[in-house]
Amino acid sequence: MPPPLRSPSVLSSTPCCAYQLCRTTGQSSRPFSTTPRHDQRVTRARRGLFRWLTAQGENFRNPLSESTNYMGAYDNRVGVLRRVLEQREQIVLDSAERGEASPEKELSAEKSKSLPPETTRDRMPFPLNKAFVSQAVLSEGLRDEIWSRVMREGQSVREVSAQLKVEMSRVGAVVRLKEIEKEWKRIGKPLARPYARAVMSMLPKTPFRPENFVSHESINDLPVHASTGQQIFHPTSESRHFTRLDAAKVFNKRLLPADDRIPHPELVIQHRERVVEELTVQERKERAELRAAEAEEKREKIANKQAQAEARVKKVESDRWEFRFTPINADDAGKDGRGQSGVGWRYGVPLYDRSRGQVKIPTSVG
Amino acid sequence: MVVKIRLARFGRRKAPFYNIVVAQARTARNSKPIEVLGTYDPIPKPPADGEGKPFKDIKLDTARAKYWLGVGAQPSDPAWRLLSMAGLLVPKYRPSPRPTPASSIPEASGSADKEANAVV
Repeated sequence: MPPPLRSPSVLSSTPCCAYQLCRTTGQSSRPFSTTPRHDQRVTRARRGLFRWLTAQGENFRNPLSESTNYMGAYDNRVGVLRRVLEQREQIVLDSAERGEASPEKELSAEKSKSLPPETTRDRMPFPLNKAFVSQAVLSEGLRDEIWSRVMREGQSVREVSAQLKVEMSRVGAVVRLKEIEKEWKRIGKPLARPYARAVMSMLPKTPFRPENFVSHESINDLPVHASTGQQIFHPTSESRHFTRLDAAKVFNKRLLPADDRIPHPELVIQHRERVVEELTVQERKERAELRAAEAEEKREKIANKQAQAEARVKKVESDRWEFRFTPINADDAGKDGRGQSGVGWRYGVPLYDRSRGQVKIPTSVG
Repeated sequence: MVVKIRLARFGRRKAPFYNIVVAQARTARNSKPIEVLGTYDPIPKPPADGEGKPFKDIKLDTARAKYWLGVGAQPSDPAWRLLSMAGLLVPKYRPSPRPTPASSIPEASGSADKEANAVV
């Protein structure tokens, strides 16, 4: 629904192609149009639409340079950007305070300057949906910086995410897409540059400025787990020291506490060391190195275990399939052949998968 | 009575799953065998990283299989195929790249049998 309309007196003085189109709808500008004639008749709503198009609608014909151009940023009655109006009022007020009679000079000077910076209020594409705010996307410069930090300097995704305040999944996606872009450039595949430029010029962007750092998004949000969605009244003694660890257990026996489920638990530790424990830079550095070494050891252990298991599997390729032979011990089935650790279908053990009340579809994943 | 290494079909309709078993030749297919040597899941699974061929899982106790072959257990054709892939037997049927002349076929099969005995 277009916003309320302007007075028609202004319209007659500004004929444009949209207005022309409105007048000539009787004879369609499209000679082969299959739309029935009664659908093309000039109705009140249609007139209103074209009136709006010639007035406020003109603002949206071309994108603004260096800014978004959303409907929510405009004043409905005047059809001018709200922030521009506010700036003008401010100038008039300032000049009145200083006792100057005519602020026209300053106003004209302001017009020649670029637009005032946009705020969250100006990022509402749909004026009736105040909850929808257009979020900033990563600028080209920031994406290049992410790629170079990960691929050139060899920093981990976690580090880069914490430094540049971009979510880890987004950092990973940027690196992957940049790699694809570079590969395409290498093999000479054409990139849709004009399209990318046009879209980027119309969206709010997070710039990369090392001297004046801008955070892209909140990176340490606690992901909502399905088992925490329920409301539980858990009676416990007053004297009990009930922590987040216990709360997680109440929700679900296998649920990790909130401190371990956040994307960057190391940031919390660093903050605690800096603010609560008041350690020196040297001590903090040592601790961080210790933690990194421990994590690396853990990772290597898991990787080794996986590699060993992988090495035991013999792979034979046929035309269509790969056959994977995993060695087992036939004695694992035990004396009677019904042991739990034995492989294969067990003999003499009933299978209840077809009986009533058995859930065959998994109700939870992971 | 002959002891055979053969497959016992378990699983469900359109979802076969086989036990590789050592059993008396005249017993029913799914009756309790002398020993279960392993399993064969014939339903191919897509590769984890999305690259390469789909794979089929086989679990096999190689030492026990060797023992049973050594004491004269006779693998069925499908079991022979699996055991030969595991390197315990010489393949019985090999896809030949071009059709061989009729005279050379008996020789080839004879030598294959010899090799099989040598391996076992």
